Amino acid sequence: MAEKNVQRLPAEELFQRELEALIAAEQDAVPTGWRMSPRSVLTYITGGVSVKGVDITPKYMGNRRLVEIAIATLVTDRALLLIGEPGTAKSWLSEHLAAAVNGDSTKVVQGTAGTTEEQIRYSWNYAMLIAKGPSLEAMVKSPIYRAMETGSIARLEEISRCASEVQDALISILSEKRLSVPELGLEVPAEKGFSVIATANTRDKGVNEMSAALKRRFNIVVLPTPSDMETEMEIVRTRVAQLSAGLDLNAKQPDKDTVEKVVTIFRELRSGATLDGKQKLKGTSGVLSTAEAISLLANSMALAGSFGSGEIDGEDLAAALQGAIVKDEEKDKVSWKEYLENVMKKRGSAWLPLYRACRELNP
Amino acid sequence: MGGPVLFGVRHLSPSAAYCLRQALDAHQPQLVLVEGPSDLNDQMHWLCHPQTQFPAAILAYTKKPPVRTILYPFACYSPEIQAILWAHEHRVECRFMDLPSDVFLALEEGAKETVDAEQEEARESEETGEPEPGENPEPSEPNVQEDTEWVYRQLETMTGEDHDTFWERNFEQIEGWQESSAAFQMFGEQLRETARDHPLRTAETLVREAYMRRVIQKAVESGVPEEKIFCVCGAFHVAGLREGPVMTEEEERTLPRTDSASTLMPYSYYRLSTRSGYGAGNKAPAYFELLWEERNRGDLAGLAGRYLVSLAAAHRKAGNLVSSAEVIEAVRLAGTLCAMRGSRYPCLQDLRDAAVTTMGHGAFSELAVAVAETEIGRRIGTLPEGVSRTSVQEDFYRQIKELRLEKYRTVELQNLDLDLRERLNIKDPATAILDLRRSFFLHRLRVLGISFATLLPSRQEGANWGEYWQLHWTPEVEIEIVESALLGDTIEGAAAFALKERGEKSTSIRDAASIFQDAFLCGMPSAARHALELLQTLSVDAAAISEVAETAQSLSLVVRYGDLRRFDTAPVIPLLRQLYLRACLTMEEACQCDAKTAPVVTAAMDRVNQLPLHHDFLDETPWLELLGRISDRDDLNTRCSGFAMATLLERGKADEELLAREVSRRLSPGVPADLGAGWFEGLASKNRYALIARLSLWQYLDSYLGTLDDKEFRRALVFLRRAFADFTPAEKNDIAENLGEIWGVNSGESAEQVMQELTHEEQETLSGLDEFDFDDI
Repeated sequence: MAEKNVQRLPAEELFQRELEALIAAEQDAVPTGWRMSPRSVLTYITGGVSVKGVDITPKYMGNRRLVEIAIATLVTDRALLLIGEPGTAKSWLSEHLAAAVNGDSTKVVQGTAGTTEEQIRYSWNYAMLIAKGPSLEAMVKSPIYRAMETGSIARLEEISRCASEVQDALISILSEKRLSVPELGLEVPAEKGFSVIATANTRDKGVNEMSAALKRRFNIVVLPTPSDMETEMEIVRTRVAQLSAGLDLNAKQPDKDTVEKVVTIFRELRSGATLDGKQKLKGTSGVLSTAEAISLLANSMALAGSFGSGEIDGEDLAAALQGAIVKDEEKDKVSWKEYLENVMKKRGSAWLPLYRACRELNP
Repeated sequence: MGGPVLFGVRHLSPSAAYCLRQALDAHQPQLVLVEGPSDLNDQMHWLCHPQTQFPAAILAYTKKPPVRTILYPFACYSPEIQAILWAHEHRVECRFMDLPSDVFLALEEGAKETVDAEQEEARESEETGEPEPGENPEPSEPNVQEDTEWVYRQLETMTGEDHDTFWERNFEQIEGWQESSAAFQMFGEQLRETARDHPLRTAETLVREAYMRRVIQKAVESGVPEEKIFCVCGAFHVAGLREGPVMTEEEERTLPRTDSASTLMPYSYYRLSTRSGYGAGNKAPAYFELLWEERNRGDLAGLAGRYLVSLAAAHRKAGNLVSSAEVIEAVRLAGTLCAMRGSRYPCLQDLRDAAVTTMGHGAFSELAVAVAETEIGRRIGTLPEGVSRTSVQEDFYRQIKELRLEKYRTVELQNLDLDLRERLNIKDPATAILDLRRSFFLHRLRVLGISFATLLPSRQEGANWGEYWQLHWTPEVEIEIVESALLGDTIEGAAAFALKERGEKSTSIRDAASIFQDAFLCGMPSAARHALELLQTLSVDAAAISEVAETAQSLSLVVRYGDLRRFDTAPVIPLLRQLYLRACLTMEEACQCDAKTAPVVTAAMDRVNQLPLHHDFLDETPWLELLGRISDRDDLNTRCSGFAMATLLERGKADEELLAREVSRRLSPGVPADLGAGWFEGLASKNRYALIARLSLWQYLDSYLGTLDDKEFRRALVFLRRAFADFTPAEKNDIAENLGEIWGVNSGESAEQVMQELTHEEQETLSGLDEFDFDDI
């Protein structure tokens, strides 16, 4: 295994034991290029069972059917596009899928406004190019190129952030499953098992709208925000536990009550109405995703561990909430204040310490 | 083997129907008994009639209110229907064997009473702290569990799929009939063991099974060899029919009965899919029909392709692009999905998910229309002429004959123009008012929700005596007529009952007024009287001014045109007086409102204003005084004040001097833009010509706008744009002329300025206004 001090291990190393147990217990047919059967991949992602004495933790909580569709897509060698609001576990799911299928989730291209076609196909080591001329040694292969060669899965994050010519470079790769290198007179065919998992953000819609030709080459799965309170709380709790284990936060895990409060506040502000649907609320400019709730709790754990009692109290939480919710000073502050006065204040004694602490930050 | 053949099925399961036919071929029975009400045996031959097309249903209902019904819907893939058809084709005797429908209805009635009583008890026991064994957490929900729902819910949590999918995946795809039959039977037995039915439900099941056994026994006694009897029943009942007790003659005699009737009726796939619950419906009839066809063709593997191709076709028809490549991908994906779930062929859920992923770009909503088309379909059953006659149907056909409407009973859309006036040149009194009687009849159909006739908006010519209908006959209409049999024996009776029901539910005077209006249009004086009483009661409570005004207006219409419909309007007048008075008393208060509600209030003001003009018995003095006060007061919504001023002007109760005073006061420098322009907006929403003709008004407006600073002007602009939005080009032209005169420019030039298209720059400026904060306006 790699050195222990890395900040964040890739999924296949973090969950190595689980993956190995699943591979050892394999009973179904394994598709070419895969490390385990589609059903085992599903077990790895949805978890909740114990294989050969190893507990498989749930990686994606939510609609199991969506995971099935995603895996089935990869079996049919189609490319998979995961769409969703920010923080709906798109990249998380994509990483774990690649980890389970290939044991390698690191062939990633991060889509940005500055991503070039070379990063999708290949580029050159110019010193070598000048010294030796076009040759295989002078070539710098993109993650997608490497995935094609090895018959594995490449990941493309935030595809809709890329310019359209970069997106278009994918079309021929996905439809013909070949990549041509005219400089070397080379045609690289994709090995069996090659596929691409791309993610796109609904908030970026219209930034670089994907062309119909490219869209057609993907099976599209839309990941929803967690459908109910319980699921979201479960997600937040598990992830906070996993995250803090790697970060030495010196603080106690947040109790159920704290998680419930954070998730309640987030869900209410996100949907623009109280949970019982009786009161309309002003929304905020931020997305307030589940992922943010998770990092918020980790954040308040850090506060509590370093400067507080070691247990999250109202003040730690209030400071973290303030940072997460009030992104746009003017507007969000108004929404947040209204929420404090109209909703939280009336929730009774259980919410009182949090209300007071929040109130202090928003005089 | 011994004993009759008991073939357990799932209702509305294509695979069960298919296997059933094979089993019948193998057994060659002499008598086929089918689970269904045994008093309806004489209806059975209609089901085999060559002109009968499924879906069709048997409807049994109690004759006395409260009406209870039981419905047995059949599609062409219903096992019961296939058994009946098989028997018909092979000239084998076939009968229903379940409890007669009247006993069924009586049992249900009894059951309901017991349950009600029990719930009382349950509530009491809850108070004493005794826990109830049921898993129903909400005490408000009736404690009766739908037959086997509990098991289904368990299955759903275990498999993560709904129970229809569970069934399809595990039972619809079994190949041989023996294997299928064994599987169904096993499922039924296990279900019976695990089901946690309410004791009442269980009791009913036992009674039914004992009765069915009695029918079988009777058949044996009549000389049919036991092994030559073939029973088709729900898989759930197989065990009960094999071992349970037999009902004695004495017991049969003491079964409760109720006065009931039954009829065959055409049914539609749409209805079949909306009635949820086991046995009563299934969610995707058109899909199941596909499944049934493929099954008969012996090509279950081809189902995925056929479903997805028809889905793609429907999606294209709805105006979307679907490439064949996407369909191919969907077929492949569906195959992989079903392999992950471990079934042989993709089931509906796999197919639909695959289609959403490939054709729908991940969003079900994109495909929703096509899915409805492919899974539910538009099929409507038909029955031969003359079958299915309830008394309401008879009444309907009698009336359309008498009213000479028969030629409109076609699938083509036809228009019918009615002239409600009495024809003085015709002697026969009934014929003289034929059109009026037609109108009553069609309105009654409308009240019953029978979609035979649609009322078109009235035209300018003959606004008060003409009525325009569009008539269109569909099989759905027939179904709707049969359903209205539950409300009464005749169209009129049913309509009266429907209105009465609506009356019981209504809580606002607006509802009550619309009921009264309907009763009036239907020509049903007693129903109208009833609605009027209701209206009276409800109008005592506080109601919004807009409701009061609307109601008063509709009553006023009735009073004015009542005699055209031969309606005695005398009882309406006191109520109209009362509402008018109410409006006069509350209008002033209502004018203290924000800008959002101001249009509602002014509309109400306009309505009330009409009342004293039409009816001499309403005294107009208090109304005019009120308008004067509203117009004068400064603390009311200025738009309302402006509107009151306009109303006074229109009625000639305000002179030039008053107008001049008001205009200069309201539009004087220093008045905030929203108040000034709002007032003008109210003023300009009525009798515009009178305004346009008054040059002085425009002068005031012009100089007022001149005093506003930039920010204020932008505010005023919002109001003014709204005020002038619905002026006609001719009116705008006239205003331009006025302005031209004021500014001393050529009137044509200023008109050009006002009328010309916006330039790009101006557009920009205006769209800048969109960001204007409208919150407080």
